[in-house]
Amino acid sequence: MASGVKPGRYFVQGDEAIAEGAIAAGCRFFAGYPITPSSETSEAMARRLPEVGGICLQMEDELASIHAVGAASVGGLKAMTISSGPGISLKLEGLGWGIKNEIPYVVVDVQRAGPSNGVATRVGQGDFYTVRYGSAGGNSALIALSPKSTQEAFDLTIECFNLAEIFRCPVFLLTDETVGHTRELLVIPEESELKIVPRRKPTVPPEEFLMYPLDNPTVINYPFPNIGEGYGICVSPYTHTSKGYASTAQEIQEKMAKRLVLKVTANLDKLVRVERQKMEDAEFAVIAYGGNARPAMAAVEMAREKGLKVGFFRPIIVWPFPDEEVLKVAEKVKKILVCELNIDGQLSREVARAAKGQAEVYHLGSGGVEPHLPAQIFNEIRRLYS
Amino acid sequence: MSALGENKEKLHPLVAKYLRRERMPHMACPGCGIGQVVHATLLAIDDLGLTPKDTVWVQGVGCSSRITYSTWIGDNIDAHHGRIFAVATGLKMARPDMNFILFTGDGDCGAIGGNHFIHACRRNLDVTAILFNNGIYGMTGGQVAPTSPLGATTTTTPYGNIEDPFDMCQMAIAAGASYVARWRSTDVKSIANSIKKGIQTKGLAFIEVLLQCPTNFGRYVLKTSNPQEVIKWIKEHTVTQQKAKELSPPELVGKYVIGEFIHRPERTGIVARYQEFLKKYMKE
Repeated sequence: MASGVKPGRYFVQGDEAIAEGAIAAGCRFFAGYPITPSSETSEAMARRLPEVGGICLQMEDELASIHAVGAASVGGLKAMTISSGPGISLKLEGLGWGIKNEIPYVVVDVQRAGPSNGVATRVGQGDFYTVRYGSAGGNSALIALSPKSTQEAFDLTIECFNLAEIFRCPVFLLTDETVGHTRELLVIPEESELKIVPRRKPTVPPEEFLMYPLDNPTVINYPFPNIGEGYGICVSPYTHTSKGYASTAQEIQEKMAKRLVLKVTANLDKLVRVERQKMEDAEFAVIAYGGNARPAMAAVEMAREKGLKVGFFRPIIVWPFPDEEVLKVAEKVKKILVCELNIDGQLSREVARAAKGQAEVYHLGSGGVEPHLPAQIFNEIRRLYS
Repeated sequence: MSALGENKEKLHPLVAKYLRRERMPHMACPGCGIGQVVHATLLAIDDLGLTPKDTVWVQGVGCSSRITYSTWIGDNIDAHHGRIFAVATGLKMARPDMNFILFTGDGDCGAIGGNHFIHACRRNLDVTAILFNNGIYGMTGGQVAPTSPLGATTTTTPYGNIEDPFDMCQMAIAAGASYVARWRSTDVKSIANSIKKGIQTKGLAFIEVLLQCPTNFGRYVLKTSNPQEVIKWIKEHTVTQQKAKELSPPELVGKYVIGEFIHRPERTGIVARYQEFLKKYMKE
């Protein structure tokens, strides 16, 4: 199939950059259900996928779209779905099937103000824990990356596809309406400059291949044979043996649960992606992610102009949470201000946990609709700094 | 218990040829009708010369699926409860060259997966779906199903079912499936013929099988655990299409009509249309 990479400079929305990133990563199946503020990606995929021989479907609901995506990946196509808010709640049902069966695919969540329908067209950051813990049953780890710009929406979408193949699991791109609808410069490099991880195929004959490496739980880059390749693969909703047969044995449940968690947590060194700015001499840190990182960075600039020793830290990978990196920040500064677009305090709760009491952690929340203004964050920095 | 798995000589030749020995004996209760439907499926597969390289078994959740899952020597893809048609859509679109035989149940297809079922029929997805209709939730222990008869006593309708049963064949016809038929588990040859036709027909083939569940339908609805009694009840409550034409609507209440309802091989669907569409729009 054609690579579909269109090198050049574009003035596009973050949502459109996701579509281009997906196609560049080799995505050849997309199924979605219209929902604001993610529909621009679906529309871009509907235009672009047929051009490269890919399949784009609008399904009857969110459940159908994520299950079709998981199944298309089992069928051998790199695949993606997208949603927001109440649509993500529905997607989580299908996510469990992907997690348990170690199926590589990408789910995009363009966060909007919630709960429930909330404000469909405006930003929120309330799905931080939803994507991590929303799939029932526990016994799983989850990978989620979060972009702050149109360029990162493109770059991290490719990263998500690569990590999905390396770790053999669904990977989230946790973005938000601000990034999704911000129209700015996107530079698509030459195809040769992109690192794309292909689907790995078994090198042993079917009788020697185990679909699920339960006895080697930390292994990554494990092959995924697709249907029709003679491996007689077994995929199901049930706790499975290494061959994929359903089991009710405690020992098997234990092994499978460990596999699903350890393949991610034992390989954190391959996952950690964070951004630091002006942290060298910082006595105060501001932490934010996604679109809200940009007013936070502007506020840090304002504080520096006033002579305050403030630094900026951003988790680019939000799950698994970069505990060690946050602890290093906490050991360095006296206070941390976490800015996020929810009132309940999600990222701030995680930062407080990772900080282990080494710094005081404060939450600057907002119900969403508007992102934080730099001045709001700056005022809070100034209030807390003394 | 394990004699069947250990001694190949005792295996039915179709079982030996197409099912995984290590998955035998299967999980079906004594007297269950699922074995008859699997038998019919294997007859169709054998007649058509299908192989594990070109044919995938797809399941949902329930007796239909839990019992057939991972028995086929080829690929077995078992979906979440109700999502079988969504999963089949992803599989078939990714591999339009392969055959997909779906095993679903009346709860899986008619209740939790109803919307996916309707839309798979509307898209006329080129797969062969076999509905195992036992009129009750078997795997979870005898709760009322959307196919349970009016008045049926089940574990969740202790005072009798006040809802009318769902005629899923009529639903499939209305929504656009290419092929629709209904048989009883005892009509093995008719089921096998329908499955063959279904696989050979482009578009969605929906074959409903009324099958005996002595463990739950028998126990709670008919107050018997004798499979023959349940089979007898099904026979007493079925009429052929021919016979149905002679009956008035009130006389047809509570009756299951069996036969081949529709066969429209000329009707195209999403799989063929997408291939045509790609020829037109694919650039590179």
